[in-house]
Amino acid sequence: MTTTTGTASGPRALARQRRRASAARFWRRYRAERAGLYGLTVLALCALLALCAPLFVGADVSSVTDAPGRPMQSPSAEFPLGTDQFGRDLLGLVVWGSRVSLLVGLLAAVLSVSIGTLIGITAGHFKGWYATVMMRITDWFLVMPTLVLAIALATVMSRSLTTIVVAIGVTTWPTTARLVRAQTLAVETRPYIERAKALGGGHWHLMSRHVLPNVMPLVLAQTTLIISSAILAEATLAFLGLGDPAIVSWGGLLQDAREAGAVSAGDWWYLVPPGIAIAVVALAFTLCGRAVESVLNPRLGVSR
Amino acid sequence: MTAETTPALVEDGRQTAAGPRVPRGSAYPRYLAGKVAGAAVSLLAVLVTSFFLFRLIPGDPVKTMTGGRQVSAEQLAAYREEFGLGLPLWRQFTDYCGKALTGDFGTSYQFRAPVVDKITEALPNTLLLTGGAFVLYTALGIFLGTRSAWRHGKLGDRFNTGLALTLYSIPSFWLGLLLITVLSVGIGPLPGMFPTGGMESGGKEGFAYVVDVAHHLVLPVVTLVAVEYGQTLLVTRSALLDEMGGDYLTTARAKGLRDDLVRRRHAVPNAMLPTVTLIFINLGRTVAGVILVETVFSWPGLGGLFYQALSVPDLPLVQGLFFVFAAAVIVMNTLADLVYPLLDPRVAR
Amino acid sequence: MGTNDQTRKLPRGLRLVAVAGAAALTLTAGLATPLDPAPRQARAADDGKQVLTVAVAQSVDSLSPFLAVRLLSTSIHRLMYEYLTGYDPKDNHAIPGLATRWEPSPDKLTWTYTIRSNSRWSDGERATAEDAAWTFNKMMTDDGAATANGSYVGNFRRVTAPSPTKLVIELKKPQATMTALDVPIVPKHVWEKVTDFSEFNNDKSFPVVGNGPFVLTGYKADSYVRLKANKNFWRGTPKFDELVFRYYKDQDAAVSALRKGEVSFVAGSPSLTPAQAASLEGADDIKVNDAPGRRFYALATNPGAKAKNGKRFGDGHPSLLDRRVRNALFMAVDREAIIDKVFQGHAVEGEGYIPPRFQDYFWKPAANQKLVYDPAKAARLLDRAGYRKNGDGKRVGKDGKPITYRVLCHATDPNDKAVGKYLQEWWGELGIGVRLNCLDNVTDPWLAGEYDLAFDGWSVNPDPDFVLSIHTCGALPATPQDTGATDNFICDRKYDELYARQLAEYDPAKRADIVKRMESRLYDLGYMNVMAYPNAVEAYRTDQIKSITTMPAKAGNIYGQDGYWSWWSAVPADSGGSSDSASSTGVVVAIVAGAVLLGGLGAFAAMRRRATAEDRE
Repeated sequence: MTTTTGTASGPRALARQRRRASAARFWRRYRAERAGLYGLTVLALCALLALCAPLFVGADVSSVTDAPGRPMQSPSAEFPLGTDQFGRDLLGLVVWGSRVSLLVGLLAAVLSVSIGTLIGITAGHFKGWYATVMMRITDWFLVMPTLVLAIALATVMSRSLTTIVVAIGVTTWPTTARLVRAQTLAVETRPYIERAKALGGGHWHLMSRHVLPNVMPLVLAQTTLIISSAILAEATLAFLGLGDPAIVSWGGLLQDAREAGAVSAGDWWYLVPPGIAIAVVALAFTLCGRAVESVLNPRLGVSR
Repeated sequence: MTAETTPALVEDGRQTAAGPRVPRGSAYPRYLAGKVAGAAVSLLAVLVTSFFLFRLIPGDPVKTMTGGRQVSAEQLAAYREEFGLGLPLWRQFTDYCGKALTGDFGTSYQFRAPVVDKITEALPNTLLLTGGAFVLYTALGIFLGTRSAWRHGKLGDRFNTGLALTLYSIPSFWLGLLLITVLSVGIGPLPGMFPTGGMESGGKEGFAYVVDVAHHLVLPVVTLVAVEYGQTLLVTRSALLDEMGGDYLTTARAKGLRDDLVRRRHAVPNAMLPTVTLIFINLGRTVAGVILVETVFSWPGLGGLFYQALSVPDLPLVQGLFFVFAAAVIVMNTLADLVYPLLDPRVAR
Repeated sequence: MGTNDQTRKLPRGLRLVAVAGAAALTLTAGLATPLDPAPRQARAADDGKQVLTVAVAQSVDSLSPFLAVRLLSTSIHRLMYEYLTGYDPKDNHAIPGLATRWEPSPDKLTWTYTIRSNSRWSDGERATAEDAAWTFNKMMTDDGAATANGSYVGNFRRVTAPSPTKLVIELKKPQATMTALDVPIVPKHVWEKVTDFSEFNNDKSFPVVGNGPFVLTGYKADSYVRLKANKNFWRGTPKFDELVFRYYKDQDAAVSALRKGEVSFVAGSPSLTPAQAASLEGADDIKVNDAPGRRFYALATNPGAKAKNGKRFGDGHPSLLDRRVRNALFMAVDREAIIDKVFQGHAVEGEGYIPPRFQDYFWKPAANQKLVYDPAKAARLLDRAGYRKNGDGKRVGKDGKPITYRVLCHATDPNDKAVGKYLQEWWGELGIGVRLNCLDNVTDPWLAGEYDLAFDGWSVNPDPDFVLSIHTCGALPATPQDTGATDNFICDRKYDELYARQLAEYDPAKRADIVKRMESRLYDLGYMNVMAYPNAVEAYRTDQIKSITTMPAKAGNIYGQDGYWSWWSAVPADSGGSSDSASSTGVVVAIVAGAVLLGGLGAFAAMRRRATAEDRE
């Protein structure tokens, strides 16, 4: 990815140009991954829907006092997906819920990958006892049963979106840390790093200007894949009743459906849409992540 | 549990392709000692965490325990004494560790029974469910994974991979709920065929009991297999594809050996390594991994117990369960590390 | 040959899939057709025994009567052991149990019970006054044995058994509740061997010796509790031979099980949801019993938590100490909407503290006293109290900050969350913010007084003493570090005076009158605002249970009664179908599943062998 002139001493324009070129190359290869393109399209649509939701559903879709329908109505022309136990429009709720589910997924993944990248780069850069300690902590987190730990954390803290984001972020970073550390070690053996060191580049300079850009693609792939699992984790925690009951999310809708008795009553229209929404978005992120992975590392052969 | 598998997929897809650093020849005993020592350290770390993490849950366990009833200060003090809560934290901690090392995790607040008893009561149920599912999804994953790799790019492969990825993205609790709605409760003309939950109807003995439990096992096992087999499939497939590009296969083929023979004799055994690692990781996770399925299907296992204990919070029980969950992972990971070099045909023993 | 080989293998794989698919279809079809309506499982038994299976959504905490506090466990104890007295299923008045007669002394301090001579323990020994005396004495002297029911003996001075049929209880102070001692009497000759009452759970050796209508014969944690009919029960043998309580983690799974006939009865604790009730009402052979509940569902207000020693603690919002604010808040709660929307008709609008089901003690506010739903009036009341809206439309507290109340709610109760959503919107209109604090375990913030408002509810017993006692000053914790019996720290002198008077009043009518005045006082204070009396919604299969006694007999509930009436009286329906369909379903499933598995393995093995044979050629 990186050619010979990697130092900041080179003209900015050149660096920009080079980055543009590599982005174009990346996109060319990504386009060849059909599954990845499907995933991307679905994601773009979902993002659009979530962003535009205030225009056509609005926050009052979750209002209970102004609910338009009767409780638990089956699908009809007025309510294409039926109503929930408050008589609220389920289609509106699923669309509105996408905002929370996507937001939590994104934030949790960003938190998780940030922690992972920070620890990975520093552990790869500063060797010695710091690295040893950090990698022991990483290994230790790796053996913790993720869901158990997340449930425990969510119980310890108060019920809110922040809690869910933190619980997911804090429990899922170790894989990223190990991957990033390995990549950092590989990058730091390259000759231009030696040169940068000889020219007096400090730790911060090395890590931010040389190592970080080189691990970025890996981080990108990792983020995409972790979003997928974060969305599932959010749904799981909300389903177990650890989410904020006042906020509409897909997992929360499923929990509501179960509590209202939709399963035994056979009210499939209440159960099916939120689950499909979760599965579709999680699948789309997984497909994108795999596509990015195989573009970056064709040897993996995941989607050959 | 679906949620926690994804990072593992990322990891296994990428890391185990390289495998752990494999020792050669006589280095094995030292390697073994190192791994076992590492595992022991991890177990201790887990013990420490289980103690401190759950102390963070706000509130006074004794007040929770006696909640709603009038209790005098003396009685509260007596309870604190009984459960060792009156001691300074460091003494509680050393007591806890000391007892834990002898296999005593204290007395459950809500059940008034030794934690170890509660765990050994629920453990076989969890193992039955997850063990059964584990065998099935591993076999299915390997079988479909090898088939997929053999005809990669073809329609069958694409269908297989696509289906695996899709099932893999489905929340397991949701799939469980749907299966209950469709196959237990029954929808429209379709009658309910399977029990809605639990492990037995009660009151049956001998063969009838076995049949009864098997009947209750069907849906939870199907749910677990559906969401879990994809990972094994993908790892097996990608490892096999990697292997199939190897030089020695070209050599073998050049010697005139037939394609599928080359695959079976040479490619598959080598490609199995990442899968074996994954199998052990899955084995370790089986214990903790079924909280959701156990909740949805009212299965009387460890997951349900953990959830119940956490909501009280029943600290001794929570600590004990947490330790068991983490210990299972550690032990299995260590076993994977130990077995790995023995299996790798590229390493001379 | 290689390519040829390859093309031949694909169909083989497909064939395997096809075989498996076909087998699965056969399995489905085979099960679907002949066994379709197989709902007699719950009552089925191999030897023609009539089994009544009850689905419960609660697990057993302990089977020791000295430790158990959960409704399921105490209900089971009612079946296993006799109590001194019982409650009449028609109107709740005290009737003979283990005691046939009882009498207070003129000074109201000594009660003498005559113990029946025709009650035997299931091991053949006679149940005597000695057993009762031993049970009470154990609770008075052993802290472990006092865990669950210690409060009943708190006022006892001495308990003796001068003869096998005579029990004498001496009191420290008069106590009107002596015919409402809900304490299971256990056999002394069995229980005196127990060393540590705080850890003995009575669940290791079966059958457990008892003298109630059923005998406990088996228990598996988080699975089931089995009881068999006690043939020698003095009131008569129950009609069902066996009674099984089966545990479902999830009420919805229990409802599904009822639909299919896996169980005969679904306990209404927690109540079935409106959606569940609606779907079951349409089902064949199922009766939904929508009985007036014994619970009240209230909004409790933190009156500024304090201990008996006068120390204040907790952090309740100071504005709530103003009665006008409390009343205004409740006037903005549309109780009718809660009944209609949240309970969907399966509840009665809240009035006084005690539900109408206990007609002797039921009280409702007079027209001029009642806090009618009127948001505009509520807003005016708040203005008058000095809590005016600021520029953003938020009401401001005395500290100059916008008011946001923390409402403590039970995360496991869907009604709390639902009503909470309505509160957010109703009070939002008033200009008051609401933060729902939903927890699995609300005990900690509750006992610490760290809440502003809380969803509250108690099951009321036929004798209302307990639910009244939890609002007295005497129930406050001694110091902030102790735990009191208090519900939410109410302490009112006038209420306390009335409480003391009713407890010493042995005349039922006069006592009821005092109790009503207490309710009126409680209503005016505005710390306990009863929003609804939720119904106990439960359901059972009419093709398995022909008749069953509800309590009260007219429109009453079945599960969680104050007595064993329902299960003792339940009559099995005439067995219409074959009683062994359950086991045959199981056998068919097992055979088909086994066949599929074998077939699959066989096909796989055959395929492999053929493949290797080809390799060798």
